Amino acid sequence: MYKYLDPLLLSQLRLAIMSYLMVAREAEFNALREQTGATAGNLSAQISKLQEAGYLDVEKTFRNNYPLTICRLTERGVEAFEAFYKDLKTYFGQ
Amino acid sequence: MEQEEKVLNPQESLRVIRETIDLAKRGVGESGFQFLWWGWLVVIACLAEYYMLVNGYGVKAHLAWILMPVVGAPVSMVYEWRRDRKQKERNTVREWYGYLWLGFGISLVLALVTSILRQTPPVPMVLIVAGFATFMSGILIRFRPLVFGGIVLWVGAALCLAVAVREHSLVEAGAIVLGYLVPGYMLNRKTRRSHV
Repeated sequence: MYKYLDPLLLSQLRLAIMSYLMVAREAEFNALREQTGATAGNLSAQISKLQEAGYLDVEKTFRNNYPLTICRLTERGVEAFEAFYKDLKTYFGQ
Repeated sequence: MEQEEKVLNPQESLRVIRETIDLAKRGVGESGFQFLWWGWLVVIACLAEYYMLVNGYGVKAHLAWILMPVVGAPVSMVYEWRRDRKQKERNTVREWYGYLWLGFGISLVLALVTSILRQTPPVPMVLIVAGFATFMSGILIRFRPLVFGGIVLWVGAALCLAVAVREHSLVEAGAIVLGYLVPGYMLNRKTRRSHV
């Protein structure tokens, strides 16, 4: 039905992750969890899908000996989001 | 385990984008501390300068303005450094916010140097640049009292045209109380409430 819209972004959590990262250029996993209200498992699964599509770059590192996951949008992710937003506006005839 | 996600329609997609971007914009983390800290320092400096001018201290009255950044800047920088360490994200709006106040600092120094060299009253220039930075801060973090605060500072700058130069520091103190401290306290209160 929405053939012009990127199906990967027609998901509430994936779209929220992408929108959030459009402003916060990079965010820790826990910050994304707080902001989206998602469970760790679901967030992790959706981040993996976005990473597989090349939209997200996920860096796994350590801070004070604790594992730390940092997510950021790739160039391709920014382009995909911008195209999605443009398509949405076209859909609404704006 | 594979998690299934709800498929959005275009209306819902737009709502998610708008709500999330709004949320991210609020993540600037401005607590009002800087407005309160600098607001009080400026008010004290203005009143000290006025007292010293009225009581015949002459050029020494301007010492208050030299002491103010010496006291203010280290505290301000340590506060920002500690806040940056706690930050879990790089926020574009926060970066713009930082650049805005950096631009304010540069403009302020240039305005003051120009005033000293040309021997023109510095207060209107200070209020004009402070008004602009405060107004834009309000727009960026979507906090209307700061937008009004910026306008109050501009009105203060215009009011300086109507009063004697010696009274400028009193106008500035009043403008800072209304344009900086009042929104600063409101922002501080709002931040505390949102953390309860």
